[in-house]
Amino acid sequence: MLKVEGLTVRAGTVELVSDVSFGIAPGERVGLIGESGSGKSLTALSLMGLLPEGVTASGRARLGERDLVGVPESRMKRLRGGELSMVFQEPMTALNPLMRIGAQVAEVLTLHGRPRQEARERSVELLERVRLPGPAQIARAYPHQLSGGQRQRVMLAIALANGPGLLICDEPTTALDVTVQKQMLGLIAEVAPALLFITHDLAVVASLCERVLVMYGGRVVESGPLREVFTRPRHRYTQGLLAASRLTPRGTRLPIIPGAVPAAGHFPGGCVFRDRCPHATPACATTPALTGDGHAHACWHPAD
Amino acid sequence: MTTYLLKRLAVLLASTAVAAVAVFAFMALLPGDPAEIALGVNATPEAVAELRRQFGTDRPPVAQFLDWSGGLVSGDFGTSYVTGAPIGPQIAERLGVTVVLVLGGMVLALALAVPLGTFAAVRHRDPLGVAISAASQVGIAIPAFLAGILLVFVFAVRAQVLPSGGYVPITEDPGEWLRGLLLPWLSLGLVQGAVLTRYVRSAVLDVMREDYLRTARAKGRGAAGALWRHGLRNASVPVVTVLGLQLATLLIGAVVVERVFVIPGLGDLLLNGVAQRDLLLVQGVVMVLVAAVLLINFVVDVAYHLLDPRLR
Amino acid sequence: MKGGQVKGGRTRGGRLNAGLLAGGTLVGLVVLAALVSFFWTPHDPTLVDAAGKLREPGGGYPLGADKFGRDTFSQLMVGARTTLYVGVVAVGIAALAGVPLGVVAGMTPRGWLSELIMRVNDLVFAFPALLLAVMLGAVYGPGTLTAMIAIGVATVPAFARVARAATLQVMVTDYVLAARAAGRGRPAIAVRHVLPNIGSVLIVQASVSFAIAILAEAALSFLGFGTRPPTPSWGRMLQESQELLFSTPRLALWPGIAVAVAVLGFNLLGDGLRDYLDPKLRRIRAEG
Repeated sequence: MLKVEGLTVRAGTVELVSDVSFGIAPGERVGLIGESGSGKSLTALSLMGLLPEGVTASGRARLGERDLVGVPESRMKRLRGGELSMVFQEPMTALNPLMRIGAQVAEVLTLHGRPRQEARERSVELLERVRLPGPAQIARAYPHQLSGGQRQRVMLAIALANGPGLLICDEPTTALDVTVQKQMLGLIAEVAPALLFITHDLAVVASLCERVLVMYGGRVVESGPLREVFTRPRHRYTQGLLAASRLTPRGTRLPIIPGAVPAAGHFPGGCVFRDRCPHATPACATTPALTGDGHAHACWHPAD
Repeated sequence: MTTYLLKRLAVLLASTAVAAVAVFAFMALLPGDPAEIALGVNATPEAVAELRRQFGTDRPPVAQFLDWSGGLVSGDFGTSYVTGAPIGPQIAERLGVTVVLVLGGMVLALALAVPLGTFAAVRHRDPLGVAISAASQVGIAIPAFLAGILLVFVFAVRAQVLPSGGYVPITEDPGEWLRGLLLPWLSLGLVQGAVLTRYVRSAVLDVMREDYLRTARAKGRGAAGALWRHGLRNASVPVVTVLGLQLATLLIGAVVVERVFVIPGLGDLLLNGVAQRDLLLVQGVVMVLVAAVLLINFVVDVAYHLLDPRLR
Repeated sequence: MKGGQVKGGRTRGGRLNAGLLAGGTLVGLVVLAALVSFFWTPHDPTLVDAAGKLREPGGGYPLGADKFGRDTFSQLMVGARTTLYVGVVAVGIAALAGVPLGVVAGMTPRGWLSELIMRVNDLVFAFPALLLAVMLGAVYGPGTLTAMIAIGVATVPAFARVARAATLQVMVTDYVLAARAAGRGRPAIAVRHVLPNIGSVLIVQASVSFAIAILAEAALSFLGFGTRPPTPSWGRMLQESQELLFSTPRLALWPGIAVAVAVLGFNLLGDGLRDYLDPKLRRIRAEG
């Protein structure tokens, strides 16, 4: 379905995402984990062709038979909202405040060739599909009349409108209440064709995904089936991340990763994690390759 | 919406009433008696008293105010102390000229500012975008009357293609009417256009950073299509507010520009009234200008509510 | 932008930027001219010299002389003084009245007092500086003082609105909530927390208002409702130059440039200060 090879994103001379490769099979749900600044959002945006001004992507990414990187905007335009769609983090600001919900859903349909009347009817069906109560009324409402959770459902309806092959979600539930978050995740799991789910929240990934990619410093440092990566992390960063997120009994110290995530462009050469890694040796000055079948890691001194 | 409209209308009427009181009270503070001024220093006390009775200035201020403000409602601004002519028709005639001047200037300003400001925002990193932005800064620094003087110098003194001033009614000669108004419109329009360009630019820049524009692109729109369909209406919300403020400024700018181009508008009437100490006339013109500003604010507030469903 | 933080070429707070430098330089130029004019001008700017009528530039008269033989350059220097004087007093009046009103309105956003202040504010807003000056001029006679008062009063609403908007923002910050929880009274909070934190917004507003005051003074003097002769004023120089536009256009050119330089300077200074002092406060725009 989706095949990414050697994806690199640059702002001028600064590499923000380096040599990222992964694939997503039809129907597969893949989690992309990382702290802010790890390059996970840029990875997603480069697949959508929506990188901010002055930021460019290189490498290869194919969705089915179609290239996604280095393709003219006129071609990407037709893919976005059609074959490939995305739900963003902030539902409160993602919808046009001056336009009725129905019109905003219908827009994505007419843009991809549906007649106006049909699009209007279909948009109500879509609102119903994302389990919004009273879809006909919702269609007539303005965004400010909806809650954050409802708005995110609208975004999901827009994303699903043209039956995409791949759905990308960038922290879609981070801004929502915990209870709303659960329902939303359930809905995404149910409706997503194939899913690339970006988050910093390990629990969310655990509840939703079958496979995970762990990013740090613009690189994928570990990838594999969820169970294996979470129970037997190999990369020292993944290990630290999991340890930090585990609930600790009262009185024990929360293990933390020493230091802080450097600013973009200030990661060390070689292994990007070596300046914070307790196991780093001079060998780590050379960039480790992502190796291993199924469960892969990029580390010179992996955990067992 | 209806409730809002009624409420806002009530505020408009109340503020106009309070403004009328303020204008009247202010003019009543004037030292000097209109009757004495009219008759000169050598008048007999009897003649002055007689004229006072004619003017109605011998009555208590409250009664005078009620007379005056009551007249305003029906368009009766009283009779000039100096010329003895009714003031209402004069104001009506002059108001027409000023409105044409202001609206023409505004249309020109918008025609300049919307495309230029949008372009400057979209290309805010390009030299041309920066140049537009810088040019608008310089434009703001030039007062409208100075722009008028410069335009007269270029088009009337040097090129001699347009008249340096004067006004021909449209009923007399539409061609000359237009030629006479071109430079005044330009003086108001260029300067206000510069101010508006800055606001349009900053509003479009703000909108370009909005998430919903990214959503529109994620739906399959190009950058330009997203801005056109989703950005411009959103950007117009803050611009409409400024537009209202500018329209009020423009009205006042017109007073000065009328002086530069010798155009018989309200400003001209006002300044002549002051020069001749025609106090009732001044009072009437000031009231009309203040009411116009209040009315503009009203229209802007209502437009704002129509544009933005969050306020409804 | 989440994920890789992309830093564009935006000017960051706390660093000198081009606008601030350019604005500061232009304003500095005007201030310098005004200060020097107290001690020295090439000629007496009010000295009428029939022989030097419309003297061409050169020979001790760098910009020539007007129809009364007065040296244009000297008039411009002293005119800078007039301009700054009017600006300082007008902005001072506006700030002294507008800031307390705005702060009170912002600290009691739901009270009747706030409502009253904002309503009166809207009303004053309907009386532009020019109308006030004409009315004041009709009562007390036109002059620098009436012009300053008119411009100042007309600028009060702008200060009150900006001060109110900024105060509203400060009032919901944690440190103010903490101070209120600790039982501090409103006056103490206003002085200790609100004023210091809205200071930068007000400085920006002052700079922008100064530019508008210069424009207003020039317009008023042009109409004969501002500074009276013989005190030199850029606006009146422009007015006097108009009849000679066909023969001696330079008489309009120099005061025109002077006004534009001063206004541009204060506008750039205001924008530059906004970026320099606090980029977070970009949202509260100075009102013109």
